[in-house]
Amino acid sequence: MVERIEDLNLPNSVIARLIKESLPESASVSKEARAAIARAASVFAIFVTSSSTALAHKQNHKTITAKDILQTLGELDFESFVPSLTEDLEIYRKMVKDKKESKASKKDTSTTAENANASTTAATEDATE
Amino acid sequence: MVEPKANPVERQPNADTFLPLSRVRTIMKSSMDTGLITNEVLFLMTKCTELFVRHLAGEAYADAFRQQPGETLKYEHLSQLVNKSKNLEFLLQIVPEKIRVHEFQEMLRLNRSAGSDDDDSESGSESDD
Repeated sequence: MVERIEDLNLPNSVIARLIKESLPESASVSKEARAAIARAASVFAIFVTSSSTALAHKQNHKTITAKDILQTLGELDFESFVPSLTEDLEIYRKMVKDKKESKASKKDTSTTAENANASTTAATEDATE
Repeated sequence: MVEPKANPVERQPNADTFLPLSRVRTIMKSSMDTGLITNEVLFLMTKCTELFVRHLAGEAYADAFRQQPGETLKYEHLSQLVNKSKNLEFLLQIVPEKIRVHEFQEMLRLNRSAGSDDDDSESGSESDD
């Protein structure tokens, strides 16, 4: 699965952009601080995933759900994330639904290759329900 | 300490992600014993990691420079925040406070003279056999 440890790194450019957006315009970030935030973000994702997995297992579920993640965030003291994530999730669900509907109406949706890929896997997600 | 009106994360809810989903999936898989990650869960985790990056950067900055924006966010500000925040405890090993070599040697000496016989072998730095 994970062959190299670098596979767990998040792209620097995206991290830099996210950091920049959350600081005042005139602020800057040292290289070391940026690297530390990137590392922290990877560890955060692993931490939340394993905590959510534990929670799902406790409820005899094999795979984690969005609900598990939101609940875990609350337990881990990140409840401040939950409202905006819930909003994002609503929009995401609506988008997936719309996409499915528009796909049903015209079999061929030639959007970008990336989007097409995402929506086909979205369909499989529903099938596992 | 926390002003309710000044939300550290100002953003519109949306279904776009900045971080690459595939990378987040790899990270999640590295910690999970189960294979299936639904697209919805992957989306949520990606969003949540982005939120975390913003949160970490924003908080560290706000903490370090309450009044004077336009400064540089440094590693030390992050480790300070990690050190005092309960919900960032999981990062204590990831973003440790920097220490000078002679301080470290002093610490070691004190530890030895205290007669602690637990050996300081760091286990699990290399996990493949």
